[in-house]
Amino acid sequence: MKYATDYGYQIKPVYGPDDVEGLEYQRDLGDPGSFPYTRGYHENGYRSRMWTRRMTVGLGSSRDANKVLKKYREMGQRGGMCVIHDRVSCSCIDADHPLARRENGVLGWPGSSFLEFEELMEDIPLTGQSITLLGCCSPSTLRLAYVVALAEKRGIDPREVHGSVMESPFGNVFGQTDVQPFDLNMKLFLDATEYVVREKIRMRAGLVGQHFQESGGNNAQLLAVELSMLKEICGRLVNERGLDFDEAMRVPYQLIDIGSRFFEEVAKVRALRRMWAKMAKEHFGAKDEKSCQLLIAVHTSGRTMTYQQPLNNVARCAIQTLAGAMVGCTALDNATLDNAYAEPSALAARMSLNTQHIVAEETGVAEVVDPLAGSYFVESLTNEVEAAAYRVLDEIDELGGLVAAIEQGRIQAMLHEEANVKFRETNNGEQLIVGVNHLAIPEEEDSFEIPVQELEASDSEAIAQRMAAWKKTRNRDSLEAAIGRLHADAGKGDGFNLMPAIIEAVKVYGTAGEIMGVIRLARGLGYDPFELIQCPFELN
Amino acid sequence: MTEGRGIKIIVSMIGLDSHTTGAQVVATLLRDAGFEVVYLGVNQTPEMIVKAAIDEDVDVIGISSHASNFALIEDLMDLVVEHDLTDVPVVCGGNIPPNQIEKLTAKGVAKVFPPGSSGQAIVDYLAASGRAGK
Repeated sequence: MKYATDYGYQIKPVYGPDDVEGLEYQRDLGDPGSFPYTRGYHENGYRSRMWTRRMTVGLGSSRDANKVLKKYREMGQRGGMCVIHDRVSCSCIDADHPLARRENGVLGWPGSSFLEFEELMEDIPLTGQSITLLGCCSPSTLRLAYVVALAEKRGIDPREVHGSVMESPFGNVFGQTDVQPFDLNMKLFLDATEYVVREKIRMRAGLVGQHFQESGGNNAQLLAVELSMLKEICGRLVNERGLDFDEAMRVPYQLIDIGSRFFEEVAKVRALRRMWAKMAKEHFGAKDEKSCQLLIAVHTSGRTMTYQQPLNNVARCAIQTLAGAMVGCTALDNATLDNAYAEPSALAARMSLNTQHIVAEETGVAEVVDPLAGSYFVESLTNEVEAAAYRVLDEIDELGGLVAAIEQGRIQAMLHEEANVKFRETNNGEQLIVGVNHLAIPEEEDSFEIPVQELEASDSEAIAQRMAAWKKTRNRDSLEAAIGRLHADAGKGDGFNLMPAIIEAVKVYGTAGEIMGVIRLARGLGYDPFELIQCPFELN
Repeated sequence: MTEGRGIKIIVSMIGLDSHTTGAQVVATLLRDAGFEVVYLGVNQTPEMIVKAAIDEDVDVIGISSHASNFALIEDLMDLVVEHDLTDVPVVCGGNIPPNQIEKLTAKGVAKVFPPGSSGQAIVDYLAASGRAGK
């Protein structure tokens, strides 16, 4: 039996005062609400603001996803909604693209036009809850444009809407390859982020560490990569876009993965709060205390949800939810018991949301802030993961930062190696997984059938056909004018913000493929990343 | 390990699914076991996969899937028949629910390895079925 964290720290059988000898309360922990925020940002914790309890939605058509969103509200989804794009709209191609026809609405919401967003949000309020739209960096500007356009259409000031619709370009190298080039994603991400800061729109951008960890990365690497992302993004917003750091820091939030190694997960999040607070002060010279408080949302780990004996996942989900709650998160969404099969069924979604409600309402853990503080073990682990993360961070810095490290293939290699290690450890029984490599039962005994959500190829094709037909009904003149302006703006260099032109194009129902296509053309790329279709517009 | 010596296998994603971790881990596992792996990566259409299978003269086609619509794998099976490649077994791995496994098997997929499958089981199966085609 191996007693070690995933980043290689040997865990002792017992911890005592000697293990936290150098710990100074004010310097290293501070009260909740005080620098360095190891214990969280609110004096009264969840008593002043309960975490947002939500589930991620996205399967089938926009109308299908709308029904699920309404159902989740009935199930007690509180504080916010969360929708993820399908692979087609993640790639910024349209539903009627030749490569899309089998995949629309697969693994997400087919959000490649404003029409789809209107259908998604029908009878669902834009305000009074956080609006979170996830799924790759490329559609970030579109998602922001959808929100602005719908707010205007409903007569709401966009500044009244809050949530998160942007996603950093780094997620796409963490085990998920994007079809749009990294430099284009980065430029558009910075455009969207700069726009919300200057327009005072309360939309955030996810620097999603979750993908990194779900793809195999260990806890120390995750913290280092997270801080490196913040360093790159904030650095660019300040240096390239001329924003004040304290303004720029209103935008990022972290979506972090919580697995089943309970105390290590708690320590990881506490270390992240402390490490960021220090970086904000020491590296960026934060003047506003708010800038030292990195917003942290939690996703319980999908990769730990087993295919075998899926009911076991209810227990895993509960343990992970408890860790996420005890560490003080802003929002939490769960993986579900059927995560290894498909998108959540209504049963699985209800189980997961109820797991959150049980933790929130029945256990009492939400009544006290950072209840594990002062535990010899937890404080030691917090110090250990922090020290290990600083070592990785130094390596990334020496390579010239995260973008440089990615260009050299180093981050990808790091992830690949870790994924192999994790596979080997379960394969040879070093890490036991109940029902998989421990206490497995014969297939015929694993008889409890869970409902599984399915999507037929005909559903995907219907989404494609609808888009193809609908495109012809749009006002061609206003569309061409908006697309023409966007193409012209896109030729004005990386620093020229395309958000205003994208919003105009979205309002007249320019689609993801069209908008990204003409931006690509202006940058000397082909209209279609797959080189299968031609630009339908005449451009000057 | 030498179980895979002399057996050439494609490991590919299919369609726009870009969750590559599983495919990469399996590719490494197979290389370490002596297989010759042709890793095609992301954004592969069924046509591209069949073309690669012919051009590279492989013994097995391996598809990694994280998607919830398996129509593209069914399309691939149609092309395999059309190109007279039925002696090349198609093996899938990933988040594929039991009822889909039935459908894919009926369509000619030789074997599906769900998450949690042991590395040895994958290696043993491919070593045996890759040789059978020769």
